[in-house]
Amino acid sequence: MKYLLAFLMITLLALSCSDDNGIKNTTWQLVWEDNFDGEQGQLPNPENWTYDVGTDWGNAQLEYDTDRADNVQLDGQGNLAIIARRENFAGSSFTSGRIKTQGLFDQAYGRFEARILMPYGPGIWPAFWLLGSDIDEVNWPQCGEIDIMEYRGQEPNIIHGSVHGPGYSGGNAITKSYGLQKARFDTDFYIYAIEWGGDYIDFFVNDDLYQRITPEDVTGEWVYDHPFFIILNVAVGGNYVGFPTDQTVFPQTMLVDYVRVYSAVE
Amino acid sequence: MKNIYYLVGFIIALSSCSRDFDQLELATYPDIPEVYIDGFSPGLNYAAFGGSKVTAFDVDTETKYRGTSSMKFAVPDAGDPGGAYAGGGFYTDIGRDLTDYDALTFWAKASKSATIDIIGFGNDLGESRYVSSISNLRVNTNWTKYYIPIADASKLTQESGMLFYSEGPENGMGYTFWLDEVQFEKLGTIAHPKASILDGQDQVISAETGDERQIGGTTVSFNLPTGVDQVVNVAPAYFDFNSSEPTIASVNELGVVKVLDQGNAVITATLQEIDADGSLTITSSGQAVRPQIPAPMPTVSADSVISMFSNVYNNVTVDTWNPFWEFSTTAVEDIQVDGNDIKRYSNLNFVGILTESDKIDASNMTHFHIDIWTPNSTAPPASFKVLIVDFGADGNFGGGDDSSHELSFNSPLLRTEEWVSIDVPLSNFTGLINRNNIAQLVLSGDLSTVFVDNVYYYNSGTESSTGPASSSPNPNRNESSVISIFSDTYTNVNGTDFNPDWGQSTSVSQISLMGNNTLLYSGLNYQGTQFAAPVDASEMTHIHLDFWSQNSFELNFYLISPGPTETGFSLNVPTSGWTSIDIPLSTFSPVDLAEIIQLKFDGNGDIYLDNIYFFKEGENENVPSSAAPEPFRDESAVRSLFSDAYANVDGTNLNPDWGQATQVSELIIDDNNTLLYSGLNYQGMELGSSQNVTEFTHIHIDYWSNNSTALSIFLISPGPAETPFALSVPTSGWSSVDIPLSEFSAVDLSEVFQLKFEGNGDIYIDNLYFYKE
Repeated sequence: MKYLLAFLMITLLALSCSDDNGIKNTTWQLVWEDNFDGEQGQLPNPENWTYDVGTDWGNAQLEYDTDRADNVQLDGQGNLAIIARRENFAGSSFTSGRIKTQGLFDQAYGRFEARILMPYGPGIWPAFWLLGSDIDEVNWPQCGEIDIMEYRGQEPNIIHGSVHGPGYSGGNAITKSYGLQKARFDTDFYIYAIEWGGDYIDFFVNDDLYQRITPEDVTGEWVYDHPFFIILNVAVGGNYVGFPTDQTVFPQTMLVDYVRVYSAVE
Repeated sequence: MKNIYYLVGFIIALSSCSRDFDQLELATYPDIPEVYIDGFSPGLNYAAFGGSKVTAFDVDTETKYRGTSSMKFAVPDAGDPGGAYAGGGFYTDIGRDLTDYDALTFWAKASKSATIDIIGFGNDLGESRYVSSISNLRVNTNWTKYYIPIADASKLTQESGMLFYSEGPENGMGYTFWLDEVQFEKLGTIAHPKASILDGQDQVISAETGDERQIGGTTVSFNLPTGVDQVVNVAPAYFDFNSSEPTIASVNELGVVKVLDQGNAVITATLQEIDADGSLTITSSGQAVRPQIPAPMPTVSADSVISMFSNVYNNVTVDTWNPFWEFSTTAVEDIQVDGNDIKRYSNLNFVGILTESDKIDASNMTHFHIDIWTPNSTAPPASFKVLIVDFGADGNFGGGDDSSHELSFNSPLLRTEEWVSIDVPLSNFTGLINRNNIAQLVLSGDLSTVFVDNVYYYNSGTESSTGPASSSPNPNRNESSVISIFSDTYTNVNGTDFNPDWGQSTSVSQISLMGNNTLLYSGLNYQGTQFAAPVDASEMTHIHLDFWSQNSFELNFYLISPGPTETGFSLNVPTSGWTSIDIPLSTFSPVDLAEIIQLKFDGNGDIYLDNIYFFKEGENENVPSSAAPEPFRDESAVRSLFSDAYANVDGTNLNPDWGQATQVSELIIDDNNTLLYSGLNYQGMELGSSQNVTEFTHIHIDYWSNNSTALSIFLISPGPAETPFALSVPTSGWSSVDIPLSEFSAVDLSEVFQLKFEGNGDIYIDNLYFYKE
């Protein structure tokens, strides 16, 4: 209860000090959404989502991502749950889930948002992010990557927004962090969003714009003028977050209330 | 707390009586968050804990995290004459309002990597109602920020315990740690509270009305701003406790459970509306069953005893009779029976009795003794276990030099609702290699309620000091119908070897008891007897043994014929006095009775034996040929003093020393315990407790004698008031008599405490009981 109050206060403060931040005056029209309604234990709608099954993903992640309901399921309360577990599976010590809209939905420009309750604990690395749909032709990072939200479980009050492209990928990504002073992202839902146009990407937490990236900001080619698809995942370990420890509590669940994509109305 | 508010409000109301009471605000306390930043915050005091090194705490201006100074804690080396550990509390004279904070935070570093035993807040050196602490906090040589989350800040409206700590040497070595920037904070990043009582266990206990038990293991866990969970040990007062059946068991705000009646109740708790893991399910059997008489008084001389618990001896220091080890459900309570102190263990699964501070040196002792009484069933396989642990030369748990051994005791040694003396040679604890640093005594087993008294180690000195006080009863069979192996009364078969070397560890000796030669097996494992020539007992019907043992809990007797063919017979041990038994030889089938070559005993303890002989029944007119008739009355209408058919009044002394010449023994006739008065002049019987028999109409007795010419029975009440009733003798077979209690008119039937027999001859008695017609 007390925590809730604290959150409300912070949110209000955030709103009141983000007034003249130069938010583009755009009218958005909803074009795609998944509200994750359905019975508990079901896999998410296969018309919207497919699975990356495997491990590492170039980041030395420790989990094996599966397409099992043990790791990816609807919670019956209108949320998608991606569940990271400490269990031996296919040679890995952890399992989790990594779902994507690749081949099912993609879009260039627009507003991409998701309402998410974070997991927590050292070595837990959830993300809501986009990859360029031409990845199979041009490879990464030429395809472009927009990380709408990344988070390290050992810093439960900080999230990060980034872009990766040719010449500025991995540790050299263009990135900025957003922190809560007296609250955490794993105790309530927050809305993580980007608003993306031909020459800008704006990063939001709730209604708070905390970063704008333009072609002038990137130290290489601007590769954000073609369709991107959506990925949601919870990684365990990896270069970005470090190892989980004995004190990391498992299982850890990222709850996603919805994912919505809008296009700008001219 | 409420009282203080009232008081403050009341004073103001008096001084300005026109103000509306409702408009008064509650007294408030300062909400100063700082405990120690660069010096003591307002009103802060320090007090060192008892036994700690009082100079352990100091202010350090050299080493600090920030600002001008830090708090320095110098943990002493083991053996420091100034104190064994560093420990103390920082408290304020006036409580502080901490309701706006969610954690106590501080920065800490140490001169080496170490684990601080305990650090916390809420210890006000008084009630410490809301104490919170972290156990085993790991610190190292880097300054690191630590957090002790507040379980429920709304309770801390006037907390004066700001910080406390306790830390001993690490592996005997002292070191130094520093704290800085100690303050209460509103972090907002303390999340995911979880609460537990009883360490999260769902405990199920049986209980009796009147039992009390503190709900322990009260912890909360919070996820820190670092993403890791931190468990905080908190006082029960942070929790709201609930009983599913408050009339069966109540629970107060401090987590003290009281059992009020028979039935079931479940105790649960919440912390700030979070359901705590763990519960206590109580199955109450109602009114307690307790011993009515004290345990038998120890008789070992005080200078041969190291006593842990007894009213008879000076007791050594015992650290605790219940260390509340993890997963132990055991509770202990001090009770008295007739002014005698007794420990009552309930819900005993296992319990440690610790002498770790002052270890017991029992190297000069020979025996361990404990008296127990249980209301629980002791039918096999129920066991009671005693584990003795010696910490070895290093005096510490572990270290590779510990030794221990556990013995398990069963029926028939264990008995229900009777005092049982467990008296065991320490040599039976074979795994207990050393016994000069005994640090733990651990009781466990299947008996959930156990009353304990007279726990001591002793040196038995000479064997006779624990041996029988008298010699065995004299045999009264005609020599012509006897083949004797070992007896002063008869001519024994020639050339018997009473100690053939069969590899046994038993030590065999023959001792004289009141001039009577007696065979003694000390430290029995097994022991043979080799006849010079085979004994032909085919004409005989029984073998007779007299045996005595205070410390044996297993004893078997075997006949052996060539083959070898051997068959055992289990003897009831320990004995109360000499036991005489006539075992039908048919019991030993398929042993060839015409060619018995050997006898054997196995078991344990020290056994005194006498009058080992075969005999032919019917050849002796002085012994009943059958047991007394079996009683037929319903137990509910009976109060029995001596009978196998009923539960007898507890603790009756069948042979009090009133200066009589009569010899008293119990013998078994056809599996039936029978009382024998040999050479009666007079003989008393002291009941275990005074009996009100006004509800009964008669006393029943079965008796047998073919050589008595006079016999009377007396009831006695205090005064003494006694009245005899003459019994006709001799009898032809068993005589059963029902004597109206009105015959004993001078006696106060509400207070019968003794019986007496007068007369002559040898009298067999059985089934002595009061009943209602």
